[in-house]
Amino acid sequence: MLIPHPLLGLRDAQEFTYLGDASLLNRPDGMAEGAAEAFYDYVYLRDNPAGVHRELWFHEQGDRSWLVVTRNTVTHEILGAELARDVALAAKGGAQ
Amino acid sequence: MSRLSGGLIDRSQSLRFRFDGKDYTGHPGDTLASALLAHDVRLMGRSFKYHRPRGPVSAGSEEPNALVELRTGARQEPNTRATMAELYDGLIANSQNRVGSLAFDLLAVNDLAAPFFAAGFYYKTFMWPRAFWEKLYEPLIRRAAGLGSLTHLPDPDDYDKGFLHCDLLVIGGGAAGLAAALTAARAGARVILADEDFRLGGRLMAESHTLNDLPAGDWIAQVQAEFDSLPNLRVMRRTTVFGAFDHGIYGAVERVSDHLATPGGRVRQTLWRITAKRIVLAAGATERHIPFANNDRPGVMLAGAMRTYANRYAVSPANRVAIFTNGDDGHRTALDLIAKGVEIAGVIDTRAGAKALGKYPLFAGAVVSNTKGRLGLKSLEITRDGQSHWIEAGALGVAGGWNPNVHLASHHRGRPVWDESTLAFLPGADLPPGMVVAGAAAGRGTTHQALTSGAEAAVAALAGLGISAALPDLPRAEDAPQAQAAFWHVPGKARAWVDFQNDVTVKDVKLSHQENMVPVEHLKRWTTLGMATDQGKTSNVTALAVMAELTGKTIAQTGTTIFRPPYTGVSLAVLGGGDTGTHFRPRRLTPTHEWAKAQGAVFVEVGQWMRAQYFPRKGETTWRETVDREVLATRAGVGLCDVTTLGKVDVQGADAAEFLNRIYANAMGSLKVGMVRYGLMLREDGHAYDDGTCARLAEDHFVVTTTTAQAGPVYRHMEFARQCLWPELDVQLISTTDAWAQISVAGPNARALLERIVDGFDISNEGFPFMACAEMTVCGGLRARLFRISFSGELAYEIAVPARYGAALMGRMVERGADLGATPYGTEALGVLRIEKGHAAGNELNGQTTALMLGMGKMVSTKKDSIGAVLSRLEGMAAEPRRLVGLVPVDAAEPVTAGAHLFEEGAAQVTETDLGWITSACYSPHLGSAIGLGFLAEGPARMGQVVIAANPLQGQAVRLRVVSPHFIDPEGGRLRD
Amino acid sequence: MTDLAPITALGGSLARVQSFGALAIAENADLALASLALRRGAAQPVPMGLSLPGPGLWHAGNGIAAFWTGPGQWMIEAPGRATEDFAAVVKQAAPECSVTEQTDAFTAFEIASTAGAGPILALMAKLVNIDAAAFGPGSATRTGLEHMSVFVIRRAEDRLAVIGMRSAAGSIWHALETAAARLQGD
Repeated sequence: MLIPHPLLGLRDAQEFTYLGDASLLNRPDGMAEGAAEAFYDYVYLRDNPAGVHRELWFHEQGDRSWLVVTRNTVTHEILGAELARDVALAAKGGAQ
Repeated sequence: MSRLSGGLIDRSQSLRFRFDGKDYTGHPGDTLASALLAHDVRLMGRSFKYHRPRGPVSAGSEEPNALVELRTGARQEPNTRATMAELYDGLIANSQNRVGSLAFDLLAVNDLAAPFFAAGFYYKTFMWPRAFWEKLYEPLIRRAAGLGSLTHLPDPDDYDKGFLHCDLLVIGGGAAGLAAALTAARAGARVILADEDFRLGGRLMAESHTLNDLPAGDWIAQVQAEFDSLPNLRVMRRTTVFGAFDHGIYGAVERVSDHLATPGGRVRQTLWRITAKRIVLAAGATERHIPFANNDRPGVMLAGAMRTYANRYAVSPANRVAIFTNGDDGHRTALDLIAKGVEIAGVIDTRAGAKALGKYPLFAGAVVSNTKGRLGLKSLEITRDGQSHWIEAGALGVAGGWNPNVHLASHHRGRPVWDESTLAFLPGADLPPGMVVAGAAAGRGTTHQALTSGAEAAVAALAGLGISAALPDLPRAEDAPQAQAAFWHVPGKARAWVDFQNDVTVKDVKLSHQENMVPVEHLKRWTTLGMATDQGKTSNVTALAVMAELTGKTIAQTGTTIFRPPYTGVSLAVLGGGDTGTHFRPRRLTPTHEWAKAQGAVFVEVGQWMRAQYFPRKGETTWRETVDREVLATRAGVGLCDVTTLGKVDVQGADAAEFLNRIYANAMGSLKVGMVRYGLMLREDGHAYDDGTCARLAEDHFVVTTTTAQAGPVYRHMEFARQCLWPELDVQLISTTDAWAQISVAGPNARALLERIVDGFDISNEGFPFMACAEMTVCGGLRARLFRISFSGELAYEIAVPARYGAALMGRMVERGADLGATPYGTEALGVLRIEKGHAAGNELNGQTTALMLGMGKMVSTKKDSIGAVLSRLEGMAAEPRRLVGLVPVDAAEPVTAGAHLFEEGAAQVTETDLGWITSACYSPHLGSAIGLGFLAEGPARMGQVVIAANPLQGQAVRLRVVSPHFIDPEGGRLRD
Repeated sequence: MTDLAPITALGGSLARVQSFGALAIAENADLALASLALRRGAAQPVPMGLSLPGPGLWHAGNGIAAFWTGPGQWMIEAPGRATEDFAAVVKQAAPECSVTEQTDAFTAFEIASTAGAGPILALMAKLVNIDAAAFGPGSATRTGLEHMSVFVIRRAEDRLAVIGMRSAAGSIWHALETAAARLQGD
C-alpha cells in the first residue's frame, strides 16, 4: 500500500506501523465524573466498519509523524491523510 | 529424431543433457520438453493420483504434466515444468512421482483402484478402523503423497530483491505487449516490459503468421533493437509479474540465473516490487482441451502447443499426427505441420459443417471417443453418428478454444465476465486501479487486434498521466475471425480427464454435482480441480462448463472461481529476500562489543541486540561458575556491565515535566533538577506497560529510560501522546539509545572507582546522593553523564559517554579498578543481581500484570490524570489478589522453575486452585540455593508459608517457602551508602 | 582533551573504505550530528548562517549541512567535527530550540560513484523503495533498508549518504556491500 503523507507525498506503507481507529485521539478526561465508563468505551469499543475508516498510522521509518489516514477497509483505497497533530489540535479548538 | 526445419534454435551449438539417466543432445533455444520430444521421448511423468503415464500437454507455464526434478544435489528443484526449463549444457533432470522407473511405475496399481480414489474420497475412506489411521493409512499416504521430493540440503544460492518505479508497467511481451511498450517508450514515459519467457514475442514465435508479409521474427528483432536504444524502457525477460497488489504495486520474480548450469557468483532470482502508475496487462491467453475417454496419453497435447513446438522449437511429437478441434483454430496446426513435412492422419472437427482449410483428411461432425497406447499414443477412435473406427497416430493436438489470462485483472476480486460471442471469460469492469487489458487477455486475440489494442491501451494509460502518445505504425497482420463451437466434452462411460495434474475427471465433476457440491467454489475444493501447481489454467473453464451442463444453467450463470497471487509458483527463497543465517535480520552491537569479544565473552541475542552474557575466565568450566563469580565479585567489590541497550529518550521543552507527569503513573512533575526517579508507565487499559528511570538534567530537559525490549514501542507511545493526545504541550522527543554508551558501575567500591574517572566532580555521598544525576567530564575532558541508580541493590551508578568512547571507558575502568576487584559482568549476572534485590523486570511486566500486583499500587497517583490510571482502578483490577513475592526451595538442593504455577500444599492442581506463577528464577550464590520471584495470591499474608511449584510437563512439584522478594539488603542501606 | 581512544561504528580505529567497481563506500566516522527541534513560539532559526530546508530536502553551506527530519525538526551535520561537543555549538546558535546530541546515535556511510548518477540509481533500486529518479541532489529522507531505518541523502548526482543507527553499523555495511558487489558483477 502507499500512504499519501501530507508533507512527503506517497510513501510505502511498510515505513509505517498501524495503531487503529482514530477515535483514539479523543481521550477522555481522567479526572472528570464518569471517567471509568468513558475510558472503558475509549479503550475497548470500536465500530470496525467494512468501508471508509479513519485510522492512525505512525511513520516509524520516516518522519515519525502520526497520521490520520482515511482508508476504505474493503477496497484499500486511501482517500486522504492528515497530520494527527493537526486533527487533534483542531478538535481541541484550534490554537497551538 | 523428429526435428523439423526452421525454429528459433541454434543448431550450430550442441548441448548435452541427461534425463532419467539417459544422455541426449539439444540446442540453445530448446526447453527440456522440446529437446526430449526431438528424441521421440513423449513420456515425461506420472500423474498425481493414478500414476498414469503422462507427457507434455503445453509448451508453457500452464503445463500440468511434464513436471521433473531439475538438477541434483543442493540445487535440486522438484515440480519443475520441463516446458519452461531452458536447456543448458550439462542439464540433469529426473522424472518424479514414480516407484521404479517412469516406464514401469509400481504405483500405477493406483489406477486399478481408481473407483476408490474418486473425488472426495478422503472424506469417506480411511475412516475405519480408527486404529489404522495413525499406524497404516497416514504413513502410506505420506509416502505416496506429493509429486517431487525435496533435497534436504541447504540452498547454496543467493537471492536478491529490488524496487522499481515506472509510469507504465507492461505485463507480457507478445504482440500486444510489444506494441504497448513501443508506443509508451517512444512517448518518453518510464516503461517496464516484463515477460516470463526468455525471448520476447509471445505467440508471435509460435504461429506462422507473417507481419508485413515477413516472418514475425523480423519485426520482433526490429522492435528489440529500438528498445535497446531507449534509456527510459527497461525490458525484463524471464520475469513473471505474479501479483497485482494495492496502489499500483506489483510483485515480480526475475529468474536471473535459473537457466545457467550454476549461478556462478550471480544471484539466482530477484524479487522486484514494482510501483507503477499505470499498467497494461497483455498476458495473452491459454488454450483449453476437450475431455474424452483416455485423453491423457503421452502424445495428446494442445493443438496450439503443437504449433509452438513445430514453429519455435522445430520439433513434432510424432511423424503422424491427428487433430481434434471444435473450431477453425485446430486446422491451423494441421496446416503448419504439413508445411513442415509432418503427416496429418486427419482433423476431427465437432462441427458438422466444418470445411478443410488445406489438404488433409477431414472428419466433420465427429469426435475422438477413445485412445490406445499406454506409454504413448498409438491410435485414436473417431465416432460420428454412432459409428466408430480407429486410426493410427503418434500424437493428437486438441483445440478446445482459448481462455484469456485474466488472472491479474482479478487479483483485487474483480469478477471475469462470460462472453458468449468469444466463448471466453473476459476481464470485468472492476479492474485493479490503473490497469488496462489488451490483446488476447482482453479477448482481442487476432494478431492485428493484439497489436492495435496494445498500442491503444498504452495511449489510454498514458493519457491518464497527462502524457500524450502517438499510435506507432504497426505491421500488417492477420485478422481472421475464429469460428468455434461451444463443445465442451465428449460424453462417455470411461474416464475423461479435465484437470491433468490433480487427476480430476468428468466423472468427478458429475460426482460433485451428485453430492450437491455445485457452486464453482465447492466444485473446486471437493474435486481439487484447479488446486495443483498449474492452478487449473488448462482445466477450470472446461470443468465449470460441464457443471453448467449438469445443472442446466448457462456458463454465465455458473460463473468462475477467481484468482489470487501468485500467477505461477514463487520460491520461498526469493520471497525471503536474500539473507539467511547471521544476516537474516539486523544485528545491533553495543559500544563494548569488540572489547567484550576480546575478553572472551559469550554473547546472547536479546531481540536484535547481541549482549555479553557472561565473561568466562581461564579454568572455569561451566557458565554457572562464571556467573556466580561475577555476581559475588560485584557485591564484594565492583562490577561493570554495558547497559547501553536500554532505551533512552531525550525529552525537552517548556512542558516536558507536565508531559512526563501524564505519561508516568507516579508523580514526575515534582522531580527536582539533578535527580532521577523510578518511573512506572501503564497501558491505557490499566496494566503495567514499562518501567525505567526519569532523570531531570535541567528545568526543561529530561532523559527517560525504558527496558531494552520496549525501547521502540515506548518511544512510539510517547510520540503518540505528544502528537495525538496533547499536541498543545510544548515538548520535543528524540531517541538517544545508541548515542550514549552506558555502563553500570555497581558494588561497594563503585564510588572509589568512579572517583578515579571523573574530572574533579564531587561524587561523595553528600555531594551526589542516591538518585542524583549530573553532566560532567571524565578522563581528562570527555563529556559524560552520571546517574546514581541501582538495579542490583548495591551502591551503584550508570555512567554515559558518547558511544565511540564506550569501549575505551570500559577498558579504562577495568584497568583502574583492578585493585578494587573491578569485574565485567554480563546479562546472566545482571539478572541474578536484580532477582536477588527483588527488582521487577520484563518477566514481571509481561503485559498481564498491574502496579498493584507489583506492590506499586500506591505509586499510581490519584491526584492527576495519567495514562492508564482510570482503568487501573476498575473493580476487577482492584480486586486482584496476586502480589509479588520471593520464593526459596525448602530443600536448598531443589530447583525453582520460572513458569511453574503455585498451589497450596495438598491442593488439587487445577485452574480454580491456581494461586499464581513464578516469573523469574536463578541460582543465588549469596543464598546458596535457587531463588525466584513470582505472583502469589495474598502474597504478603503468606510470608513463611510453603507452597507447591507445579511443573506437570516435567513431572516436578517443588516445595517453596514464601519470602520477601528482596533477598539482599531489604532495607536498602547499601543504596544510600 | 581526553586520552580515551574512540572507535568507529564498525569497531575499528580507522574508518572503513571499500571500492566496488564504480562505487566506493566509506564510513564517515568524523561527522558530528545534532538534532534541532522548534519549541512553541520559536521562530525558525538560521543556525550558523544555514537556512533550514523543507520536508524531504537537504541543504549545505558554511561548512555545515542540515536535513529535515520531521515537522519542526532537523538534523544538523558538521563534517569532521565528531569529537567536538557540536550539540553545544548548535544550542548556542539556536538557544530557543531543543537541541540534542546525535553524533554517536548514527553511523554514516558516504557512497561515491566514478561513473555519474547511473551506479547511484542502480544501488538505490536494490536497497530502498524510493523512486531514485525523483530523488535528485538535495533530497533527503528516512526510509527502510533491509528492516532498518536509515536516512538517505542525495548529496550530489554521483554521491549518496546512508545514515543509520550506530549499533546496526555492521548490518548496514553488509547490506550496502552486498548490493554494491552484486552490481559490480553485472
